[in-house]
Amino acid sequence: MEFQKLGIVGGGFMGKSIAQKVAASGIDVVVLEVSKPQAERAREELAASLDAEMAKWGITAAEKQALLARVCFTDRIADLAATDMIIETVTEDLATKQDVMRRLGATCPPDRVFITNTSTLSITEIASASGRADRVVGMHFMHSVTQSPIVELVRGAETSDATTATALELARTLGKTVIRVFESPGYVVTRAMIPFLNEAMYLVLEGVATAEDVDLGIRLGYEFKMGPLEYSDRVGLDKVLGWMEHLWRELGDFKYRPCPLLRKLVRAGHLGRKSGRGFFVWVDGERVSTTPAESRP
Amino acid sequence: MMVLVLNCGSSSVKYQVIETSLALIERDADHALAKGNIERIGTSSALHTYSPAGRETLSEGGEILEHRQAIADILRLIADPERGVLKNASEIAAVGHRVVHAGERFDRSVLLNPEVERGIQACSELAPLHNPHNLRGIEAARRLLPGVPHAAVFDTAYHHTMPPHAYLYGLPYVLYQRHGIRRYGFHGTSHRYVGWRSAALLGRPREHTRLVTCHLGNGASVCAIDRGRSVDTSMGFTPLEGLLMGTRCGDLDPAVVFHVMHKEDLTEQQVTALLNKHSGLAGVSGLSNDMRELLAEEAKGHERAHLAIEMFCYRLRKYIAAYAGAMGGVDAVIFTGGIGENSPPIRERSLRGLEFMGLELDPERNRAAVGRAGEISAEGSALRALVIPTNEELLIARDTLRLVEHAAEPAAGVH
Repeated sequence: MEFQKLGIVGGGFMGKSIAQKVAASGIDVVVLEVSKPQAERAREELAASLDAEMAKWGITAAEKQALLARVCFTDRIADLAATDMIIETVTEDLATKQDVMRRLGATCPPDRVFITNTSTLSITEIASASGRADRVVGMHFMHSVTQSPIVELVRGAETSDATTATALELARTLGKTVIRVFESPGYVVTRAMIPFLNEAMYLVLEGVATAEDVDLGIRLGYEFKMGPLEYSDRVGLDKVLGWMEHLWRELGDFKYRPCPLLRKLVRAGHLGRKSGRGFFVWVDGERVSTTPAESRP
Repeated sequence: MMVLVLNCGSSSVKYQVIETSLALIERDADHALAKGNIERIGTSSALHTYSPAGRETLSEGGEILEHRQAIADILRLIADPERGVLKNASEIAAVGHRVVHAGERFDRSVLLNPEVERGIQACSELAPLHNPHNLRGIEAARRLLPGVPHAAVFDTAYHHTMPPHAYLYGLPYVLYQRHGIRRYGFHGTSHRYVGWRSAALLGRPREHTRLVTCHLGNGASVCAIDRGRSVDTSMGFTPLEGLLMGTRCGDLDPAVVFHVMHKEDLTEQQVTALLNKHSGLAGVSGLSNDMRELLAEEAKGHERAHLAIEMFCYRLRKYIAAYAGAMGGVDAVIFTGGIGENSPPIRERSLRGLEFMGLELDPERNRAAVGRAGEISAEGSALRALVIPTNEELLIARDTLRLVEHAAEPAAGVH
């Protein structure tokens, strides 16, 4: 299938990043936001993110212009009806995602495939609201969408072979390597990653080492691009906490029980890069200092 | 014979309809009946520019979503009752495709068949930005013109005659064996064309001539041609090596790449774009990749425009002298490509300092040779300098014709 135009529900971080990746692959994109001002803000943020990519020499001014011309932002769900496929990227919350599926199901032609971008939730449950569970498939885009070479493709209980094939074709068009996963909480990458992040946080809590040294050890010792605590700060500590609570609830194993230090930081509003402080201090999206004093052993 | 020449990029198709035959080639009288290009394929605002010879150019906008549609649009226009140059698209007797990379598989132009296409596909790893689009064009053209032969003419093929000491890098030899890491060179059809064309202008046989041909466009390369054969060229494994170009950096210490990636925290994709799209004349000047614009700004005193132009000319001068050394002498320097054909000041500044090699430039001739062939060295100059407008499409059409008619290969792959 040749994709000409894709719909994306949600112009948040993931929605914008996916829109950027899709547009860079030469496909037009319609991004749905809840209101006109939100849609306008998402457009401005996408332009800013492209400016940042230009500052890193990743794209040229002409490419930025061409890319922006391929993405249109709207607050009318009816604008998605004429797209080849729709990717929803709203908040990682079952009820919210089900509501989106319900509305999409009522708006789009019955043969249209919906992709839900989730890292932990049940595709089967999300799909059940769409009225076309066989045409819903999960695709977990990894951070950062424009750089990461892989996606997890998750089949729900009802997902058809044809729907899976369409999603595989999209992944190929976007230049992504696919790992195929059956539905299970956290799928593969999140589930394997969470206990690792949690353990790094416990090391800081127990005073075994500073956040700085935990990250440095892991990064250099295992040739990771970044340490688990910087990764958590970049993703957002509230989001990491959400993943952990979900796995803890679903799987009931102690290894997923969120570290109390993580809870403390989230309660204090220290959410990582986006709030300027988490395990590290951040200014303008860059890590500028070592561990805040109270986190030292 | 009417040959449709196609050059398919990611979102563009350039084309010419060329009437050629062995008799016409003999008289050097084959010519283009029409030329044109389609840009922005894949959008609803694609632009088709079409120029029938001797008539007004026309531009049409509209939705063209893929290459097949683009080629169908070309066939429609060239056979249009009012604006066309053919009565019917079925007059096209063969299609010649420009294909960028042939790796070590093809040392000359070939008729396309499934095996050849698999070979081109296999070379996509070496030219991921070009070969897949060339193949897409081939596939589309074959579906639309199924009854006629299609040929592939490769950018790399002409440089197949380089000796190993010129094409190998100083890396572990096993990398060449395992991954084909070597200099391939590009712009081969252009270097081959101007090299052949120069024989008549120089009035001496190819068998006794050593040339340095300079293809200077947004992409730029130099070729050492010894008795009709390419023996070295400045572009390498990819078109990034060699001269300073519009947006490509050309020769660079490879250690710089890793240092910059580390210092600026760049990904592989970002550093690749930096070297290919943000460097060269544009990167140094901070202004533009367009030499005309840089010359205009330099005249107003823009220092970095001046620096970029100086770097461009200096590096070209080094290559000319180096290739003279490589061949044990040089009889003529040939300029072609947009800058080479149209910029007397760049030619003059690049040749400045080569008087020790016996070059005497004629400023008057240099100023006069714009967009047309002509000698720019002075009468009696030991090293001669020429301007020759390139015509890759003509060679693609001729190669296609010869393959179709099973005509003999031109000697040493020359014309």
